Amino acid sequence: MRAAWLTSVVVLAACAYDPAPGLATGQNEARNFECERVGQAEAHDRYPGDIPPVPPRLDTESKVDALLCQARFVPLDARLPRDEAILSRLRSSVGGLTQLASALNPGDVVWHVDAFYPDPMIAMKISVAAKTSLFEHGRVVSDRVPTLAAGDISVISRMPPKQAYAVACKRYFAENVLGAHDVFLGLMIVDPRETQLHAGVCQAGQWRWVQ
Amino acid sequence: MSAMRVFGAVMALLPALSFGATDIAVTEAHRAQIEKVRADLAAQVQLQAYDLLDELVFEWSQRPPFGVATPVVMADVTVPVSFGSGLQALIENHLTSLVVQNPRSNVVLAHCPSCTAMIVHSGAKGTIVSRGVDSPEALAQASSQAQARHALFLDFEAEGSALVLRARITALTPDLPIVYAKTLSTTTSNAALLRTGDRLKSAAEARKEYLDILENRSTWTVPIRVGVRSYLAGYESNFAMPPFIWLMGGVEAAFSQARAWLGSFSVGISWAPQSHTAWLAQARISRLLTGTVSSLTHPDLYFFIGGSVMSVYGNSALLFGNEVIGIDEVTRAIMNNPSSVPTTTLGMFQFGLELRVKNRIGVGLYFEALPGITTEQNIGSYINLGFIRFQSFGMEASFCF
Repeated sequence: MRAAWLTSVVVLAACAYDPAPGLATGQNEARNFECERVGQAEAHDRYPGDIPPVPPRLDTESKVDALLCQARFVPLDARLPRDEAILSRLRSSVGGLTQLASALNPGDVVWHVDAFYPDPMIAMKISVAAKTSLFEHGRVVSDRVPTLAAGDISVISRMPPKQAYAVACKRYFAENVLGAHDVFLGLMIVDPRETQLHAGVCQAGQWRWVQ
Repeated sequence: MSAMRVFGAVMALLPALSFGATDIAVTEAHRAQIEKVRADLAAQVQLQAYDLLDELVFEWSQRPPFGVATPVVMADVTVPVSFGSGLQALIENHLTSLVVQNPRSNVVLAHCPSCTAMIVHSGAKGTIVSRGVDSPEALAQASSQAQARHALFLDFEAEGSALVLRARITALTPDLPIVYAKTLSTTTSNAALLRTGDRLKSAAEARKEYLDILENRSTWTVPIRVGVRSYLAGYESNFAMPPFIWLMGGVEAAFSQARAWLGSFSVGISWAPQSHTAWLAQARISRLLTGTVSSLTHPDLYFFIGGSVMSVYGNSALLFGNEVIGIDEVTRAIMNNPSSVPTTTLGMFQFGLELRVKNRIGVGLYFEALPGITTEQNIGSYINLGFIRFQSFGMEASFCF
């Protein structure tokens, strides 16, 4: 008992906020933290109630960092791994793709967006993220999604992906589904095993891969 | 599923068709796990979603998306993948409440059953099955009385540790132009502290209020403590020391706004009939263990050490000596000087833990050493470390003003 008992109490209390696996945090719980290391000043600015300000008489060479950890909303193993990988960085990945696509087509055009993903719910999420991102970058965006006739779809669905999108783009233009002032942005995964989103732009019947 | 979605589904299947891969089956175990996640996180996500909705409607009230009050139909609310329709209903209700309480937003929620219902439309281009909001031409024919000419879509998604809201309003014309779109994330917005539905605040205002609360916490408090100290009987003692019940009051100072270090000074009095009257002066220093800043919302655990001086008047004072006290010793003390009352004054050191809620109410446990008592004949030891013995165990409740 004795001193060991007192030491244990202090150590246990100190571990309560430690995100590393240990006494108070299990391995599964630790894996579900997203952590970033920032300076004390920035950490205080972001979390003034939790991180104390930088002492005014602090030695300028001293550097104190804060490790900011937040638990993921959805644990890593709750969704399918591929879906989780896509959704976890949806904002950054889709934002980057729409910026690229937008830079390639700076003109006064109307953007149409659709996503191609095995799970329709995730496809909708990707599509919504792209539309919102384009609108926030000042582009004119439509909720209308171009469609093709059943015969076209029947033929295109037998083609390999890289050819199918180009052919579909030509058919959009030939069938007047997309006009001269319309641009179609498609986001997709090409290989079902990958977690990297690709994007292509269809304008005036020409399909161009953005990434 | 609409015609456009048919094409989308076919294109989505292309990778699988090309590479012959099969999609991953969702197992029963996975479903059970998802249910558990829903139960664990629904409340947390709900509150964060409410924060984002508050911020969205606040922005509408500051910069309305329409110049005049405009009917808008709530077309679709989607929640993070793996969450259920319960959260969806809560979000819809909260948004409706906010919009009703903030007419300056110029968004008037309209009832339009045919807008969200699946409708079948046959025309020259073929037969289309879709929601009304996805096919405005069909909607116009199906429901010419529909007032809403705009549709609101809300999409929530859990992206890592952030909850992201994407809101967009689409005009229900054949081209379906998006007239408003906004992305809000919990990583960039502030917690909607002190917001109410009819008095929304900007993120900057909410942050300022939070900082004001942090900075305006007084560094001085007046704690009133009610506690009890108990003592073990010594191995040769004929008498058991009665527990001492204490009422204490004093002042407590925090060394900084963080309240990580506290110092206090208090005095107390104890009385028991036929036993003792005692007073005590005590100084303590406390260190916060749960973090570096005391919390406004969670209990704080402090470790403290302190020193005290106690004077006891009455028969109990005899037991604070180092000589064995028996009937003979008590009789001798009375006979030698019947008018005098046994008295003793001694110093004490203590350590303990205190759990405090919002810096207002606390409970504490502690052990106390009486270095003046060098034997265990009259008072036993709860903890004996060899070089120091803790003869007293105490509990207390604190109320800070």
